[in-house]
Amino acid sequence: MNRTLWSLNAGDRCEILGYDDALADKYRIRLMEFGFHPGESVACLQSPAFGAPKVYRVSNTIFSLDDELASHVRVRLSAANE
Amino acid sequence: MSGSGSVRPMSKIILIGSPNSGKSLLFNRLTGLAQKVANFPGITVDVGVGRLQALPGTELIDFPGTYSLQAISAEEKVAVEYFESALDDLQVEQVLCVIDATRLEKSLYFTLQVIRDCERHGKRVTVLANMIDVLDAHNLSLDVEALAAALHTPVLPISARSGKGIEAVTRQIEKNRVAGAFVPRSHLIDSPDEILRGTAHQLARRYGPKGDVLVKTQTRLDSFFLHSFTGGMSFFVIMYLLFQSIFTWAAPAMDAVEWVLGTLADALIPHIGNQLAKDFTADALFSGIGAFLVFIPQIFVLTFIIGLLEDSGYMARAALICHKPLRLFGLTGKSFIPMLSGVACAIPGIYAARAIDSPRKRLLTYMAIPLMPCSARLPVYTLLIAAFIPSGTALGGLVGWQGLAMFGIYFFGMLCGLLVTGLVSRLSEDHFTDLPFVLELPPYRVPGLQPLLRNSWNRAKHFVTKAGKIIFTVTLVVWFLGYFPNYGADLGASWLGQIGRVVEPLFAPLGLDWRYGVAIFTSFLAREVFVGTLGTIFGIEGAEENMVPLVQHIQSSDMTIGSGLALLVFFAIALQCVSTLAILSKESDSTSLSLKMFGAYFLLAYGCAFAVYQLAAVLT
Repeated sequence: MNRTLWSLNAGDRCEILGYDDALADKYRIRLMEFGFHPGESVACLQSPAFGAPKVYRVSNTIFSLDDELASHVRVRLSAANE
Repeated sequence: MSGSGSVRPMSKIILIGSPNSGKSLLFNRLTGLAQKVANFPGITVDVGVGRLQALPGTELIDFPGTYSLQAISAEEKVAVEYFESALDDLQVEQVLCVIDATRLEKSLYFTLQVIRDCERHGKRVTVLANMIDVLDAHNLSLDVEALAAALHTPVLPISARSGKGIEAVTRQIEKNRVAGAFVPRSHLIDSPDEILRGTAHQLARRYGPKGDVLVKTQTRLDSFFLHSFTGGMSFFVIMYLLFQSIFTWAAPAMDAVEWVLGTLADALIPHIGNQLAKDFTADALFSGIGAFLVFIPQIFVLTFIIGLLEDSGYMARAALICHKPLRLFGLTGKSFIPMLSGVACAIPGIYAARAIDSPRKRLLTYMAIPLMPCSARLPVYTLLIAAFIPSGTALGGLVGWQGLAMFGIYFFGMLCGLLVTGLVSRLSEDHFTDLPFVLELPPYRVPGLQPLLRNSWNRAKHFVTKAGKIIFTVTLVVWFLGYFPNYGADLGASWLGQIGRVVEPLFAPLGLDWRYGVAIFTSFLAREVFVGTLGTIFGIEGAEENMVPLVQHIQSSDMTIGSGLALLVFFAIALQCVSTLAILSKESDSTSLSLKMFGAYFLLAYGCAFAVYQLAAVLT
């Protein structure tokens, strides 16, 4: 099932499919520099209440992204979540 | 910071790396200097220069951390522009690139960019894999030799924290120096960034530490500190303890300073024969400057606790927790760090705002920082709270009324900052594009006591040396004007009294007499001057043989609680700091902005203080 990174709940794992065209190149590049490559596995570690930025693990690093960025990253939920 | 002296250095070495890779700690270890370090991305916001202790003829230049040579934030632009110009500098002989060995992929892409650009300019690079002690502690490893072979570049495992591998860095620098003509070998010289990103990914997978024990530890703590309920609660508890501790932890040290000054004054003053010298020592030195020195322990405690939060890694979590609420006021979670730094001093806060990539949110953060309750306000708050708020406790000693009042006035300052930015963000036209929030969460670490103490000591020292000069000068002038022409016999008839009568009508609507008017007037140089000026004025007026604490002077003056509260509110808002205005002009590249802020905050401060005084008059 295709979703966005922002739609994940804490504990969900996914594979990155790509990015929205609406996402500016410099942010796409920065996300890739951080390790958010298409094909990479990402885990959502925290999904705080009230729309606060969510916490994601990619490789051995943890990042916090808000909806303005994470909603432009297209993902597919990993089989274990479906 | 500068280690430069009269001898021109023979060569320069660049120190560069990703944010939070331990670069500033390494800089301190190699140079013996005390650059500020913290466990938060982007703590180095300017270029630091020092001489290598082991190679005194060599300058080490510390650049702000950056994730990539394609800069996004203002802070990254500084680093990238300096780096590019440094590569053209013939004195720059080599580059040390620091990577975080625990999170290799994040660092490697930047490292590959550095190696590529250095090869284009004929500069040698040495990669320093920092935090190797953390990997050792968790039985993890980095394949250093294979990574060095793949990069065609020396890779040294080091720990800036423990000092492991530091001697090897010096040896490698000397080895590079005598290695002869540089021949690029990495085949990266023509590689575009896209290729480098893929290469970094592969190298990290192949040679980086295997296992996720570090991330699991971090995740366990995050599940508490970032939890919807426990995260919010712990945030408020930590912030409350921060403000309570300013009173409770610093109180014994403040009492000790006060006792030492009192004992010294009692022992010294009676032995001074000349009346003029005697009055000067008692009124200007002990009452004026002494009143200001009492507050040094509070500055120390405040800086220590903020440093503790930064070094532990909690500050980044606090930024995340605050992001959504701050967004309501036009700010971002990244504004939290500059704003909290502004609680110690507005100047480092303004510098730290460079890490905010959105120009609009950076501008709004600049507006909020001067309203943060900085340490220069602390002596004024402490004095007025001690004069008007009872020192009792409630809830079995858990809550002190004075601590609660301090929390209240701090909260008021912060709330004013948020309301101002919220209003400006809604009223102003959107000239800028807002940038989304992305923040790396650093691992939790046990803070090192020595750097924390050193940083707190430096801050307290800076407070004394920066404000001390102004306070000494102002105290001298105030004492002179207050003592003459009648040799302290009648303060009201002195030159200061005459000036005070001119200023008095401005502050009379707040219920403040000319003595407070003069003290407020002088505090526009720096807020702390208020305490010294008032101490000198009451010192001349009282002319006691023994030192009487300034608090008692204020309590026995005609000042009402309404005026005391009005004064607190005035100081919470007014932008009385020449240094802050200068740095604000420089960082925002706009003198007009700092002048507008100065005028607007004065009017706001005066209006709010007047309202508080009138309200108190109605209620009491």
